[in-house]
Amino acid sequence: MMRLSAFASVIATVLIGHLQAPAQAQETIRIGVLEPMTGPANKNGIENYTAMEIARDMINERGGINGKKVEYLLADVPNPTAAISETERLITKDGVKITMGSGISPLAIAVSQTTERHGVFHWETAGAADIITKRGFKYTFQVGPAGYRYAQAAIDFTMDDLTKRLNKPIENLRIALLWENRAFGKSVGDGIRDYAKEKNIKLIYDEGYDQFATDMTPIVQKLKDVKPDVLIAISFPNDAILFQRKAKELDFYVSALIGVSAGYSNPDLRGSIGDMVDGIFVSDFAAKVNPKALMPETVKIAEEFFKRYDAKLHRPPAGHASSSFSATWALFTEVLPKAKSLDAPELREIALKLDLPNGALVNGSGIKFTNNDWAPDPKDAGQNLRASIGVWQWQKSGNNQVFPKNLATHEPIMVPLPEWSKR
Amino acid sequence: MVAMTTIGQLVFSGLLIGSIYALMSMGLTLIFGVLRVVNFAHGEFLMFAMYGAWAFVTYTGFNAYVACLAVVPAMLLYGALIHWIIIRPGLNKPHLVVVFATMGLSILMQNLALLVFSADLFDVPPLNAGRSITIGPFYAKLELLIGFGVTLLATAVIHVVLKSTYLGKAIRATVQDGEAAQLMGIPVPRIFLITFSAGSALVGLSACVMIPLFSVFPSVGLNFVLIAFVVVVLGGMGSLEGALLGGICIGVVQSLSGYYVAPAYGQMFFFILFLLVMVFRPAGLMGRRGEATLGMLD
Amino acid sequence: MTACIALVAIGPSQHMLDVILLSFMWAGLALAWNIAGGYAGLISLGHAAFFGIGAYTSSILTAKAGVTPWIGMWVGAVAAAVIGAILTLICARLRGPFFILSTLAAAEVVRIGALNWTSVTGGAEGLMILPTPSAMNMVFGSKTTYAMLMLIYMVVTYVVTKAIEGSRYGYYLFAIRDDEEAASAAGVNPLLARTGAMCTSAFLTAIGGSLFAQYFLFLDPTNVISPELSFQFALIPALGGLGTAIGPVLGAFVITPLSELLRSYFGGGAAGLHLAIYGAVLIIVMLYFPSGISGALMRHLTWKGDSAR
Repeated sequence: MMRLSAFASVIATVLIGHLQAPAQAQETIRIGVLEPMTGPANKNGIENYTAMEIARDMINERGGINGKKVEYLLADVPNPTAAISETERLITKDGVKITMGSGISPLAIAVSQTTERHGVFHWETAGAADIITKRGFKYTFQVGPAGYRYAQAAIDFTMDDLTKRLNKPIENLRIALLWENRAFGKSVGDGIRDYAKEKNIKLIYDEGYDQFATDMTPIVQKLKDVKPDVLIAISFPNDAILFQRKAKELDFYVSALIGVSAGYSNPDLRGSIGDMVDGIFVSDFAAKVNPKALMPETVKIAEEFFKRYDAKLHRPPAGHASSSFSATWALFTEVLPKAKSLDAPELREIALKLDLPNGALVNGSGIKFTNNDWAPDPKDAGQNLRASIGVWQWQKSGNNQVFPKNLATHEPIMVPLPEWSKR
Repeated sequence: MVAMTTIGQLVFSGLLIGSIYALMSMGLTLIFGVLRVVNFAHGEFLMFAMYGAWAFVTYTGFNAYVACLAVVPAMLLYGALIHWIIIRPGLNKPHLVVVFATMGLSILMQNLALLVFSADLFDVPPLNAGRSITIGPFYAKLELLIGFGVTLLATAVIHVVLKSTYLGKAIRATVQDGEAAQLMGIPVPRIFLITFSAGSALVGLSACVMIPLFSVFPSVGLNFVLIAFVVVVLGGMGSLEGALLGGICIGVVQSLSGYYVAPAYGQMFFFILFLLVMVFRPAGLMGRRGEATLGMLD
Repeated sequence: MTACIALVAIGPSQHMLDVILLSFMWAGLALAWNIAGGYAGLISLGHAAFFGIGAYTSSILTAKAGVTPWIGMWVGAVAAAVIGAILTLICARLRGPFFILSTLAAAEVVRIGALNWTSVTGGAEGLMILPTPSAMNMVFGSKTTYAMLMLIYMVVTYVVTKAIEGSRYGYYLFAIRDDEEAASAAGVNPLLARTGAMCTSAFLTAIGGSLFAQYFLFLDPTNVISPELSFQFALIPALGGLGTAIGPVLGAFVITPLSELLRSYFGGGAAGLHLAIYGAVLIIVMLYFPSGISGALMRHLTWKGDSAR
């Protein structure tokens, strides 16, 4: 027995010892990147990381930041537990002092929790759940829009645009809400419910569903019974596809469908459901906005980004990828050049002082972070109030921004959506 | 009257999707019944087969049903391979060896798929432009109806094979009592190989039926494997008719509970159904009494 | 055991400490599972439910009622034990794969319940514990303290395991596991013994869950009550050696650093490579070393000992 224990200790020590790594020299700026490269969210992870790589290549080609090149240490975080371990590892073993990420909300929450504990600066490019900025953290900055903004965009679009096109005042418009019941879906769902209440809009249907459902019949049937004009659906790619197919199968259709990010913004949707996709609206990060909305220097950067992204992945970037690039580029050009070190307090100060107007970033965003000074919620800190959000529409010519007007490149079409037999 | 149509549609759709669940689980129940092993990589077998079907459709242009001609034999061979390398060595060991080895296989297969195909969702074009056929007041997609038909056909064929052919009798004898069968001269190890491969081939068949309905991606197996297990146990391990009945039950329960209770609770209802069956009729709907309590041939 | 304490005392880097800490925790959890799975033959693939019940109960009590986790964790443990008893009674007549799948189904019911019982558990968005260090609330600034905590947990579960192993009760469990009919003919009450084993196992697993919650400070049902986690609880003892006390510990100390290693070397590269390797390793070990690492070592060391003459 004793020998066995000794043997075990030896094995363990050898294995554990292997995990020690030498410290790195400081000629580069090392940024820890946490994205889900495997696991259910890895599509987002891979696309976000590609966008970030392009940003890194572009900045390094321009001489780096204050002469130093940028280097990424990528960690795969398929789930929140891995997120915590991997973040710990990057910080404690590899000594990174600044991190970016994280693909989707549950991961963003876990990663930032860990970075805050170590006093490390975290630049969140895509995670959206509202709670990210409501935890009293000092060093986590969420550059992309918070969950409730997606909700607001969907409702604003319905109020400002759809009511006119459908010729129905908002009080008479039948609006249904369908949300997948994990962090993002629930967060946006809550946002829509709250915002609708604020604007005195009644939702005739409001239900969450299990994202892994293999049969959408009951949901579609329920919606059929309720006969909505507008359906706002928050789904991930797989369930969005199943839903659309089932809707066609059971002959359920609405006048307008507004999908919210994730599933409906997935560029592969057209490949999966073909022409059924035309006409669907998506409330999402803006991917490609009207160049007139951008500052002149940004237009050039945007073009270069789109070109390189297309070369790597052979498709236009999804909203989260654009957001990742925009956020990363802003970090490289507006925050890090002003920093003498990578210490979180210094970076935090610089971030809080940022005041970039809308249109400064490639996806139409500006940057202005809250700092416990936001009227609707004084507890909120680190949220970017100028993150762009809008609605685009699947059209044959591409995914075109249709709302808000200043970011729009096209007009909405196909309102109301024709019946299935006519499509 | 409107309510009747709703219930009718729910039951009808549940029936159709349930038959697909059944088809997907038949291989598993045969394997359980004969070899008494749990194949935790069952979902991944389905996933591999679906990728195969998708590749066939995409590169030859024929529809998914023609793909059977390629996918079913391929899965037969794959099943034989896995049986040889992984299952056979594990048969005389404590049964959790096979449980964990197949778990490892599941992880391996999922990530190989990820490496080769990436995480994107792959689909094949729908028949009839995705429109439905109407049968009375009810809608049904052509692919679902075909799936239902294939399931019934497969059940019938296998039933005939089991009842009338020598192979079938040998399999049934092995299910009843492996030792006795061996004493009677039945080459039990070969029966194991044949059954496992056949089970795998059945998965291949169901994949061809499923690819027009569901997208394939590396972790798609996870969505289905729990359903398959529940169907198998609900129906009674080793019982083909049980799998059919179990699958349909699950499909209908899922459909009705999703409508009348809440879709958010998704799979909870049939897990509860599963547990209820376990308490009150552990051998499943059509299994033999006492089978669950006799357990494995340790 | 002294080796472990030495490991922590050496004060290695923060990252190593993290791995060691997790290894202790996993060892404890594996030992807990082993009481039901290895000793009593109750192979459960649903232990994540107990883990989750422990983690959530103590965290909810802290968040909503201000009860310190030092007390809360016992509440969670008792709750888990009760659920464990119910489960065992429900599945009293089931054996083999029927039992295994029932545990899986039960765990899924718990998970989906937790996911949707948003008012209490925070649902999908998860439950967060404030990271301000305070010994009263079992939140520590220093990782070494956590490591010590986990070490104590591991030691306690080890002691309990050894105690069962050497006792008459343990003897009953082995008897039932190996040949139930003979055992009950000899006067052992299988149901009682089984229930006891499952309760103890659930109780200890839940404590581990509470400790985990205090370390990670963030819970969400999809990751805390997942089938993947349940598999891990069973995998580690199986690899290390079921039915022995040292097996689960060995398993934990090999698997935990190994997964970290694989992920850090390969995780950044081709997506999925590290997991593919993990899967392949698993298959190989299970097929060729079914009594786990401890079994293989035992044989190796004994053989060596004999021939050393």
